[in-house]
Amino acid sequence: MAISAERADGTVIAKADGRIDSSNSREFHSELEAVVTDSDAALVLDFEDLAYISSAGMRVILLTAKSLQKSGMKFVLCSMNDSIREVFKISGFDKIIDIHNSQVEALAAVGA
Amino acid sequence: MLLLRADTNGGQRRTGYEDLADLVASVEALGEEDGWSGDLTFRISLVIDELVQNVVDYAYNDTPGDVEVAVTSREETVVIEIVDDGIPFDPLTDAAPPDLTSPIESRPIGGLGVHFTKTLMDDVEYRRESDQNRLKIVTRKRPSE
Repeated sequence: MAISAERADGTVIAKADGRIDSSNSREFHSELEAVVTDSDAALVLDFEDLAYISSAGMRVILLTAKSLQKSGMKFVLCSMNDSIREVFKISGFDKIIDIHNSQVEALAAVGA
Repeated sequence: MLLLRADTNGGQRRTGYEDLADLVASVEALGEEDGWSGDLTFRISLVIDELVQNVVDYAYNDTPGDVEVAVTSREETVVIEIVDDGIPFDPLTDAAPPDLTSPIESRPIGGLGVHFTKTLMDDVEYRRESDQNRLKIVTRKRPSE
């Protein structure tokens, strides 16, 4: 797993690749925290290159959603494969976090 | 059949494989050999990942212990068996059901691993036998019509 990030007009686009499980979920959390700053308005987390996520990774997604909501920052996800999408659905996370089919739609949703 | 013998040591996982990633790689290789769909391989990897991690985290109270994982591919189903000698724990009844509906600010963290297993697999059976926790999980290779 690695995260690459770019920033345009206060929107951070972070892409995670590979697998997120209990062996690297802490690293995923700290890398995700490191890419956003207080002056950012939105985080788009792009899962196009993510193959796998377990409950350890879902925990980080929920912690991130909680913390960004507190700081008033928008948080959306996009481009996840069908298996990961199913995991978000059965976790009930699709009801509390915006998930978009593409990065273009995600960026439109945060007004970027 | 694929067999893993793992021993857990105070939350550190030491296994017959280097780590769980190696086990997952072997499960993926078995799936490829057997023509599983990508989604079937994903679901089986996820369930093994979650349940082995539960054993590592809770079964042995920080003392070393074993967990055995066997994966058997049959004609229409895949059978996963997970056995440990830890404290009695029936995930079907002892794991609290997760909160799937509260808003973000009050949504509790955790409790999803067992929920994934129940939701993504077709049949889960627990037995406590010879001082062992024995889980047998079955999933059909193709979704039922």
